[in-house]
Amino acid sequence: MPDTHPLLEEFRDQIQRCSRCGFCQAHCPVFGGTQRPALNARGKMLLLKEVLAGRLELDQELIETIFQCTTCASCAQNCPSGVEVPEIIKAARREMVGLGTCHPAFVGMDQVLDQHHNIYAEEEPEDFDRERGGQAEVVYFMGCVGQYREEEATEAALDLLDHLEVDYALIDEVCCSGVLEDVGFALKPHLAQKNIETILATGAKTLVTSCPYCLRTFQGRDEYLPLKQAGLEIMHLSQFLARQDLGLSTDLVVAYHDPCDLGRHAGIYDEPRQTIKTVAPNFVELADNRENALCCGAGGGVRGAFAQNSLAMARRRLEQMETSGAQVLLTECNSCVHNLSNAKLRAQKFEVMTTPQFLMELIEESS
Amino acid sequence: MNTETKDALRQIVGEANFSDHIIDLVSYSSDASEHIHRPQAAAWATSAEQVQAIVQLANDQGFPVTVRGAGTGLAGLAVPARGGLVLDLSRMDQILDLNIGDRVAVVQPGVIYADLEKALAPHGYVFPPDPASGKACTLGGNVGTNAGGVKGAKYGTTRDYVLGLTVVLGDGRLMQTGNRAMKSVSGFDLTRLFVGSEGVLGIVTEIILKISPKPSATATTLAIFDNLEDAGRAVSGVMASGVIPSVLEILGRETLQAINQNTDLALPEVDAMLLAETDAYTQGEADFQMERVVGQFKANNALEVKQAESAAQAAELWKARKSCYAVLARLRPNFVLEDITVPMSRLAPMLKGISQIAARHRVQVATFGHAGDGNLHPQFLWDAADEDETRRVEEASAELFQLAVDLGGTLTGEHGIGLSKAPYMHLEHDPVAQDLMRSIKRACDPNNILNPGKMALDG
Repeated sequence: MPDTHPLLEEFRDQIQRCSRCGFCQAHCPVFGGTQRPALNARGKMLLLKEVLAGRLELDQELIETIFQCTTCASCAQNCPSGVEVPEIIKAARREMVGLGTCHPAFVGMDQVLDQHHNIYAEEEPEDFDRERGGQAEVVYFMGCVGQYREEEATEAALDLLDHLEVDYALIDEVCCSGVLEDVGFALKPHLAQKNIETILATGAKTLVTSCPYCLRTFQGRDEYLPLKQAGLEIMHLSQFLARQDLGLSTDLVVAYHDPCDLGRHAGIYDEPRQTIKTVAPNFVELADNRENALCCGAGGGVRGAFAQNSLAMARRRLEQMETSGAQVLLTECNSCVHNLSNAKLRAQKFEVMTTPQFLMELIEESS
Repeated sequence: MNTETKDALRQIVGEANFSDHIIDLVSYSSDASEHIHRPQAAAWATSAEQVQAIVQLANDQGFPVTVRGAGTGLAGLAVPARGGLVLDLSRMDQILDLNIGDRVAVVQPGVIYADLEKALAPHGYVFPPDPASGKACTLGGNVGTNAGGVKGAKYGTTRDYVLGLTVVLGDGRLMQTGNRAMKSVSGFDLTRLFVGSEGVLGIVTEIILKISPKPSATATTLAIFDNLEDAGRAVSGVMASGVIPSVLEILGRETLQAINQNTDLALPEVDAMLLAETDAYTQGEADFQMERVVGQFKANNALEVKQAESAAQAAELWKARKSCYAVLARLRPNFVLEDITVPMSRLAPMLKGISQIAARHRVQVATFGHAGDGNLHPQFLWDAADEDETRRVEEASAELFQLAVDLGGTLTGEHGIGLSKAPYMHLEHDPVAQDLMRSIKRACDPNNILNPGKMALDG
């Protein structure tokens, strides 16, 4: 056993501060899907206290819990003691990776990004029948999930930008690689550099992305500082759409799922609702919403590493959707829409889609 | 616990509902108290038959069984003090029946309080004892601790709503107590014996609860007092005024100071703040009751009385009270939340005594609580890494308990004895009463299988 865990030591006070009240059990999606206290935030803090006290090794046995956290931050949001659990979990993961202990899925993710330009190791990017490069007012960044897994959502977003006659450019984008920091590794500077170069080459004033995680990476990571320094306005597609006059209307009953990366992590709750409520006045909130929204179970690498439990978490969110009585569930994150769609049961008759998909359907119907 | 025993447990609950992984053992080593002890295995039971088979196996093999719900208890009730098996019932989480016409809800022990609340809400009904941990805690845990809450003055505690139980006794026999009738004087009241028994006599596998219609109107008032005795007299005065508020909370000076240091609420730093809420089925009735309460506040020299004119204003008045736990939890590295309870007329001497004890032992104690039923939460705040401070906290706690008992009160109003208060049982219970408790324990659990080490039953 190593004498110290320097990355974890930085959070010693925070970890000790957990008063074990267990209130996080009411909010943790992993606990909700598994009913296993070892996977809840309190369980994780108890384990890390034992590690810091030298009574437990940071070894293979801890992978199942330390790497099974969506970093959704609903525990931190509701923690009476103010423990910033996601930051602690990320530090613990870094520590474990440093010790050579990591879930194989994440080792693979890090290796893939050394060799490929996207987390799926796909060779042929979808071109969406659109040219890359060129000059424009806006540069649109779709993200790995949007480009390789939720192509329909991306197609709809691009069609919507076309419909709104937005002057935008697409680039030969590569993975922002921000997600690596969530799973114990480091962002890849060479990928950041490539994105920065291609983004700035468009001469755009605004960077719009439909991926909340890419948004957080561009806005928050030092490696992407040149974007801000170049005066680029960085925003999520939902923020961009809130500024547009859509001129659409529907009687459909619509609900909205707050993605954790867009909501709790980026504080964007109102703009998505503004657009949706304007178009669909019969808007209903899900039981847990905004700061208290229930995670879809996809984040923090959990979908890749613990697929079954990830789907169980998504099903819990879909149960709230069922109770709401809404006909359409909208969200603003391709990962969320991916996981929620996969988890949806045939008996559940509502639809799950991104807001741009919903808007494009209305546009197509009206034309 | 040997391999054969673990295999037998796997046979009973199934592979997916058994664990001896270190991550589970550590997470089951603690509850919301400061106590910690690892079990040797954990199991999630999903039926009464499984619980019975486990308890029978435990008797055969001689390993302790500590039952657990959400582990939100504050006195170590769910900590496996002697190791053995932690039996988690949170997967027995079905609401089996809601019969509004009979005012009855039948639930499994793992149902979360908030889930029952959600199920009752469309009917305009509620299960009134609402512990602060309601979003997370299980009803089985509430029964095990006889949990209370903020509305205890008017609505009592869990025991007032439990009509019947299905219990696996410590010797492995399955038993029913009570029934679905609103009243029953048939035989000894075994139901009450098991409510608050902390999992030492039997394991509850089904609960019949009485439910109540939810009053739709409330009135809310906040009052501040620069003199503790005045606040104490105001509480007694309210109780004698012919109405019982649904909430009557008190915040002491140290708590108000702590809130001011950590929030922008800018509260007056006075001896006591009282928050009152009345409830009824019409606004007029709620207001009528509140007039009586306000009359008592004013008659007892309240410096200021603020009455809410709207729901938003009521929420403002609740802010200080609602911030107590979170503010105090962050002040020092460690805390213990006590729950001594005294007759309402003795609140002022109790609060004054707490301040004196804290000063004498140089420890930080902030107090808030449910003045309406005399239940106070003195919160000791300290750093466990400091051995001298820890010792002083322990000495101060012992004096706190003695004072509560001296004032005609109790060690614990709603958290239970568990491990935390076991050393002080003798302060409150005479040798005959303690002997009878031990006899009852032996009658239900002759081999001391269930939750051993709790409630001073062993010695």
